[in-house]
Amino acid sequence: MEKQPHLLLWKAVFVLIMIGLGFGIYAGSKSIDYTWRWERIPQYIINTEATTVRSPFDGSATIEKGNKLVVTSDYGDDPLVIEKFDNLLVSNGDLVFEGDPLVEVENWNIGPLTWGLVMTLQLSVVSLVFAVVIGLFAGLARISTNPALRYLSVTYIELIRGTPLLVQIFIFYFFIGTVLDLDRFTAGVAALSVFTGAYIAEIVRSGIQSISPGQMEAARSLGMNYVQAMVNVILPQAFKRTLPPMAGQFINLIKDSSLVSVISITDLTKAGREVVSSTFAPFEVWFAVALMYLVLTGALSWAIQRLEKRLSASD
Amino acid sequence: MTNMTDKSIIQARNIEKIYSNGCHALKNVSLDINRGEVVVIIGPSGSGKSTFLRTLNQLESISDGSIHIDEVSLTDRKTNINKVREEVGMVFQSFNLFPHKTALGNVVLSPMKVKKKARTVAEQEGRELLKKVGLAERMNNYPSHLSGGQQQRVAIARALAMHPKIMLFDEPTSALDPEMVGEVLDVMKSLASDGMTMVVVTHEMGFAREVADRVVFMEDGELVFEESPERFFSSDNPRLQRFLGQVL
Repeated sequence: MEKQPHLLLWKAVFVLIMIGLGFGIYAGSKSIDYTWRWERIPQYIINTEATTVRSPFDGSATIEKGNKLVVTSDYGDDPLVIEKFDNLLVSNGDLVFEGDPLVEVENWNIGPLTWGLVMTLQLSVVSLVFAVVIGLFAGLARISTNPALRYLSVTYIELIRGTPLLVQIFIFYFFIGTVLDLDRFTAGVAALSVFTGAYIAEIVRSGIQSISPGQMEAARSLGMNYVQAMVNVILPQAFKRTLPPMAGQFINLIKDSSLVSVISITDLTKAGREVVSSTFAPFEVWFAVALMYLVLTGALSWAIQRLEKRLSASD
Repeated sequence: MTNMTDKSIIQARNIEKIYSNGCHALKNVSLDINRGEVVVIIGPSGSGKSTFLRTLNQLESISDGSIHIDEVSLTDRKTNINKVREEVGMVFQSFNLFPHKTALGNVVLSPMKVKKKARTVAEQEGRELLKKVGLAERMNNYPSHLSGGQQQRVAIARALAMHPKIMLFDEPTSALDPEMVGEVLDVMKSLASDGMTMVVVTHEMGFAREVADRVVFMEDGELVFEESPERFFSSDNPRLQRFLGQVL
């Protein structure tokens, strides 16, 4: 407890360093005469630009109660009724001619960055599911007593871990993708899940091997077969123990998914590149993109921490 | 002899166990155990007594010889070892409770997964068993919240939940603090008086003297000597004398 004043001091040091870093970024951009245009960014996330509704015919406008605009035609066309709008551009009793602006409606269009985020999320979730399945089986094969399974698993793991993901993505897209006629998304998911699966296999293996052999013996002595013992006794314990490294691997997967932009999948990173070329505001865009990745990875690690807490009931 | 085999629920004949590193752990061990009999195996550490016990449910394979449990051969390739293990409960020195399950969860797991009992039925039986070992109040505790003695009693209840015909005990009290040894031995005694066939590897000479029908002495992988407790502890076999001199 007597350390308390020191703790406060170091917390203050932390805050000062963070402020210093922020100032450094600001000063850095000043020194290169960069003009920040943050106002250009939101429309690429959610586009709320108003669209104007124009009169399709000549007639007169009446505003009925409940804020309903009715335009009756001079030539017997069906009257135009607009119930939802954001800005009224005519007043009650106005004569309107064809093409006159009537109201403005604010449309909530999802911008390209959000579409990119959705694509990144899709890629990550689908790849994650496959990666876990691949990793689980490869990890089990890795510790199998059957040499064929074991060597297959070792070969797979070494091959994947020994080559760069970017190269694997190209191989999956240009070679395997062409042979099997895969679309971009499938090729991207395949590359990501095969890559991540190799790392998960090692995590699964170390998790299972960290469980005391007595657990398997106890389960088998109760009449369970190997699969029952694995599913009911070993894997639940290994799962809990491997959650922290798994979380790291899942977060890596989300970040690695940015590499599939090289095969023209419009994920968050590729969307960022496109937005940069139309806004000429690279700093803002890349900061925004980084923040959006942080939201994804932050949410994931929060969820896994929650799960860890829930599973710690038996500790 | 026919009479003898009729009664024997465990027949171990000429068992040899040689590990791949060349260690000769069991040398020509033969032992018949009758239904309802309590056999205590004692001997110095490294004498092969635990190894022998573990061959009886094939946690340890044998290099030569034969084992029959209730007339089922364990060395026969056609034997489903999982079926045999349902009949042979085992209690370990280090408890080996499943840490991710509560006491009751430990007890009901195998009846539900192996015998496919409904949860309600398994839990009903599980509660009875835990009450029997004196843990009615601790049913929903995780192993990490139980003392060593309590954990070992849960382990006994877990083994009993499969309704085994035979119970194997591998030094069940060796990992316990001295004050907890009694509670576990009491459960084992009541199990013996219920007529359970038990094979117990232990250093508890008091238990051997009091509960055993037969005491077996093993040394260097050999079964040296087997006798009723009275004759066993008054024997003048020099190897036994030397061992008893060390432990008593």
